[in-house]
Amino acid sequence: MALKLYDDRMSQPSRAILIFCKANGIEFEEVKTEIAKKQHRSPEFAEVNPMKQVPAIVHGDFKLFESHEILIYLASAFPGIADHWYPADVRKRAKVHSVLDWHHSNLRRGSAGYMFNSAIALALGLPLNPEAAAESEKLLSKSLAMIESYWLQGDGPFLLGNEKPSIADLALVCEIMQIEAADENERERILGPHKRILKWIEDTKNATAPHFDEIHSIMPLARQMLKELKVQASKP
Amino acid sequence: MELKLYVDRLSQPSRAILIFCKANGIEFEEVKIDLAKHQHHSPEFAEVNPMKQVPAIAHGDFKLFESHAILIYLASAFPGVADHWYPADVHKRAKIHSVLDWHHSNLRVVQVIIVKCERIAVGYIFNSAIAIERGLPLNLQAAAKEEKLLSESLAKIESYWLQGDGPFLLGNEKPSIVDLSLVCEVMQPEAADESEHERILSPHKRILKWIEDTKNATTPYFDEIHSIMPLAREKIKELKVQASKP
Repeated sequence: MALKLYDDRMSQPSRAILIFCKANGIEFEEVKTEIAKKQHRSPEFAEVNPMKQVPAIVHGDFKLFESHEILIYLASAFPGIADHWYPADVRKRAKVHSVLDWHHSNLRRGSAGYMFNSAIALALGLPLNPEAAAESEKLLSKSLAMIESYWLQGDGPFLLGNEKPSIADLALVCEIMQIEAADENERERILGPHKRILKWIEDTKNATAPHFDEIHSIMPLARQMLKELKVQASKP
Repeated sequence: MELKLYVDRLSQPSRAILIFCKANGIEFEEVKIDLAKHQHHSPEFAEVNPMKQVPAIAHGDFKLFESHAILIYLASAFPGVADHWYPADVHKRAKIHSVLDWHHSNLRVVQVIIVKCERIAVGYIFNSAIAIERGLPLNLQAAAKEEKLLSESLAKIESYWLQGDGPFLLGNEKPSIVDLSLVCEVMQPEAADESEHERILSPHKRILKWIEDTKNATTPYFDEIHSIMPLAREKIKELKVQASKP
């Protein structure tokens, strides 16, 4: 049964799913659906996902959207996926659910809000909003601190103190990698103080090598593009 | 193994969990954490949930927070919970997860009530962390905008999530954990202002039917757990009166 993945590599949840599939040898056809080109608003894509958001998948005739659900579905529907990605044990699984849920309201809200209002809005033809960016940065920083003081506590190097990564590590790390599209001073300011976070990103990268770097090879390009857009936007 | 639920009945996710347990005959001890009295900030509660939010559970020595994770855990860990609450089938389950996630990002009921009820009401009804982080737009423009977004979300539920053969979300014949979770969310404005709540919901006939169907499927627990609403409304009225005194 064919698996089609509708994604935009600039979208952090899209990247999490791409890395997961590649790291687990899941075959798929990638259908690039670029947000900046408004391809997510096409009638064809609305047939796939009426919410008009990427990522979305089609597996045979089964359609699904919302990245956490896609990760859970892929981990459950494909044979041979190692248990650590989405544990069968009800309690371990519940913990994975709780960090994914926490992510929505905390890291994602802070990170996406910050990146959108300080840079990415320009790529969509919208103005920047420094006030909103500052608010979001507070939530982002608080979330990074919470990851270090709570979610990364335990014996192992991954979230929930796990020895090996779960889908939650992919989802959250790809979110943080979005900050790579910001300029160097901003990255240093936001991520620099969080040494434990930096180690965790490295561990997740190594656990999914070479796919993690391959999928994130778009980031320098994104950074360049946003730099140029900012320069253009500042011209009278 | 005993189950403790740390809840505040004024919190919509708390109610969803209470109704689920009662409707499924799951025994538990209810530990009331009164948000208005800041009990969620106590050191004892921080031991249960370092995020200091309700609801949270302790099942034996296992602790868990985030209401969707809790609902999934309870549906999975207790024998005899009917399959329709959280189907074993991978495809059906995936659809349930997707509406739970959509809920996180889209059903903006909370925002409407924040702008309408002013700061004094917020601390009483909600986990104030969310309210403070979102800021508290107190002007009519922001209120109108939030209400429009809420209406759009309700319209989306009607046009998409409630489509299908059955009366419940995803066209299901019987309710799942998402029906409980979303209906309790939609009921929340009733805690502040009944007429406002009616005004916002009345154009959405399909939503009203769905609330009624969910209520009937979990009777008498739904009404019993929501009996706190009139009480909340009275308290808010009192708080508003006090706040307006010089």
